[in-house]
Amino acid sequence: MHEVFTKTLPAVDIHQVKCVQGFEKIKAEYPVYLSDESKISAKPFEYLFFPKSEEELAAIVREMGRLKIKITIASARTGLAGGCVPMEGALVSLENLDKVEAIHYEPSSAEWRVVAQNSVSLKALEGMLRTKHFPHLEQSADERVRCEYLQFKNDPDGYFYPPDPTEMSAALGGSVVTNASGARTYRYGPTRAWVRGIRVMLANGEILDIPRGKYFASPAGQFVIWDSQGQAFSIPVPDYQQPKTKSAAGLFAAPQMDLIDLFIGSEGILGIVTRVEVALLKREEKVSVIQFLESDEQAIALTEALRSEKRLQLDFLEFYSGNALDLLRELQKHEPSTVGMPFIPQDAHAAIFFEMSFDSKSENLDYHILEETIARCGARLEDSWAGYESRELDRFKVFRHMIPETINGIIAERKKQVPGLHKLGTDMAVPDQYLPEIWRLYKEHCEALNLEWYAFGHIGNNHLHVNILPRDMQDLASGLELYQSFARRVVELGGSVSAEHGIGKLKGKFLRLMFPPEALQQMRAVKNALDPDGLLNPGDILPVEVAQ
Amino acid sequence: MKIVVCVKQVPEVTNVQVNPVTGTLIREGVQSILNPFCEYALDHAVRIKKAHNDVQIIAITMGPPQAKSVLLRSMELGADEGVLVTDRKFAGADTWATALTLAEAIRFAVPDFNLVFVGKQAIDGDTAQVGPEIAEILGLPQITYGIQAEINDSRRQIRVKQEVERGYEVIEATLPALVTFSKGEVVRRAPSFADVLRARQKPVRMVSANDLSIPEEKLGLQGSFTQVVKVFPPPAKKSSLLVDNVDAVEAARTIYQFLKERRFVS
Ligand SMILES: Cc1cc2nc3c(=O)[nH]c(=O)nc-3n(C[C@H](O)[C@H](O)[C@H](O)COP(=O)(O)OP(=O)(O)OC[C@H]3O[C@@H](n4cnc5c(N)ncnc54)[C@H](O)[C@@H]3O)c2cc1C
Repeated sequence: MHEVFTKTLPAVDIHQVKCVQGFEKIKAEYPVYLSDESKISAKPFEYLFFPKSEEELAAIVREMGRLKIKITIASARTGLAGGCVPMEGALVSLENLDKVEAIHYEPSSAEWRVVAQNSVSLKALEGMLRTKHFPHLEQSADERVRCEYLQFKNDPDGYFYPPDPTEMSAALGGSVVTNASGARTYRYGPTRAWVRGIRVMLANGEILDIPRGKYFASPAGQFVIWDSQGQAFSIPVPDYQQPKTKSAAGLFAAPQMDLIDLFIGSEGILGIVTRVEVALLKREEKVSVIQFLESDEQAIALTEALRSEKRLQLDFLEFYSGNALDLLRELQKHEPSTVGMPFIPQDAHAAIFFEMSFDSKSENLDYHILEETIARCGARLEDSWAGYESRELDRFKVFRHMIPETINGIIAERKKQVPGLHKLGTDMAVPDQYLPEIWRLYKEHCEALNLEWYAFGHIGNNHLHVNILPRDMQDLASGLELYQSFARRVVELGGSVSAEHGIGKLKGKFLRLMFPPEALQQMRAVKNALDPDGLLNPGDILPVEVAQ
Repeated sequence: MKIVVCVKQVPEVTNVQVNPVTGTLIREGVQSILNPFCEYALDHAVRIKKAHNDVQIIAITMGPPQAKSVLLRSMELGADEGVLVTDRKFAGADTWATALTLAEAIRFAVPDFNLVFVGKQAIDGDTAQVGPEIAEILGLPQITYGIQAEINDSRRQIRVKQEVERGYEVIEATLPALVTFSKGEVVRRAPSFADVLRARQKPVRMVSANDLSIPEEKLGLQGSFTQVVKVFPPPAKKSSLLVDNVDAVEAARTIYQFLKERRFVS
């Protein structure tokens, strides 16, 4: 079926909605809404809304539509691309839509699913799943909801939500709209793979419920959406190809695609997600291993070996470059407890982190394939750290995130001296076979320009975050140029210029490297069909000026 | 030289949440772990082993059969073998019955021990009694709240840095002796994955009530003197200041005054 119908919601008086009006007041009293984790600054905007329900949200969208005032949507504002930072008009914070609505078993796919409003944070969800304690469901007025929740509680197994986009304060809905991914994407795919349904509010203030597997593009490549007035919009599905890597760059498109996939990863330019339904997976015991290595190149070789050994099933495969370990060693020298781990071995010049299933109670654990694979690359399982208790897994996770945090701290200090400075963090992925080549390119060029740089991240998906830390404006200029040249090469290799952070307001120029003008025009056509007045998230993904 | 380290399995209390309606602990998803203070005791044993050759570390625990997992964990972290003291008859033991059982089990399983290391307390009961009681029962000199330990070259004495209210003291004892350990400056170890795998090959001996020469009425619940009269949360310490129901200027003034008194601002 490629035809869908939207619904209206009961009208609510716009004056009932909590609103802060006037940029000066917003600036003075609500300064956190002026930026996100990209740290770019908002331009003056007039309204800041806090809807408490979909009805209130509809009232805002209709009123702003009537006044032709543009709307930027914010969830938890952890985005790294400035997507939720307004440049005009109104900012709508969805933070009060934060209830879990149901948890139920779906027999057709034999899985538990959670239905939640947009702003339930990933952290809150993880906490509720871990303890199987969902206060909103316990107190629900709906008997069926309470019953299903009880059934979930009585299930002897534990469950978790597989996507883990690092920043756990992100909103579940925000992570769907950005198709966030993380370390575990290596095994479980990006957020997209776990979304079973969404509810979106379109620019006309009407609601669209989209379960996965119900609405598919016609063979001719279109969807038709009927609104409550009987008016139809036709949405042309783009025919460009997605890169053969994980990607969060531009609108998703595929022949006869599922409508839900158009909205997942759309960064809010097509509609506002109010509710999502996501699938859970049975929790298993895991062991986390940090394998120390002689060199970055050995890490690349081990990654390739681990990946091609099909008898090994790793949940993630992450990387710290040699210079990143040196940076942490330096911290440990001054304060051994800061890193929270024993001293990093002196002869470690790179590290690979991985996690896999584990049975701590078993007396004959057989990991000889892993041992052999590591030995073939010239490394030893003795030169590793391993942990499986939950507090150990948490400790290892903290260690994994220590490099980006340390880097951000360094650059914040430098910024105090030279305010124009900022770090350059890449977010690009290439197909498997190009990992050694892209690594050589990154390393040789950063070293040739004598830049301060570190690399870490999702090596299993050939998705390394190269972070350049300019010491002065000269470094920044050469770093920017280098970043562009990296992006060009990534595109030539069939990769993505943004594998997980999205395009937002910051990475449009990279998107233009990746997609030809016709493809961008096709994205524009989807946007125009769904949001003819360009009301939603102006300037995200597609530049404003062409939109009008 | 043999160092016995007493280890206990405890719930990981840092992650425990309280159900706001019933006021009870939410136990779902709470794992059992090696008591952190036992881990520090083990850490000091491993340091001694690194500094001296032919030191053998024996981890011992009393608990249900599943407490074996703390022995595995201890062996990953450097213990050479484990002793699991388990029997239905031990169930319900208070600190005294536990100390009596452990002391006997140590005599039975490691009669030629030189040192007994224990954590200063377990994070689930927080009594800090079992260590000192074992020392009494075994007739050993004891040093509590250790944060550093070294053996002299003759191996007849142990020198322990002990945490006290305003600093530390250094105390020596003649072996055999018992030391209880506090956190000190330990940075927790991380075993290698090879250590984790190897721990599963190390020997674990089982000790039951029949192996010990303790009359049955002195074991478990029967042998316990402690009576729990009432369980209640400790009164909150008043170290925080809540500024409520005043305007922003007044609130800022109060907080400024508070910080100034404590010399955080001048
Ligand atoms: C330290 C750190 C690490 C990070 N690591 C990762 C990572 O590993 N992987 C990854 O993918 N991301 C990562 N991020 C980026 C960010 O956390 C994710 O993109 C996250 O999914 C954004 O969620 P949010 O709720 O904060 O969205 P926001 O930042 O509030 O919004 C992001 C974008 O989505 C739009 N939007 C949000 N909610 C809606 C909605 N309901 N309807 C319509 N549009 C909406 C906004 O307008 C904006 O364009 C990281 C961020 C930080 C700070």
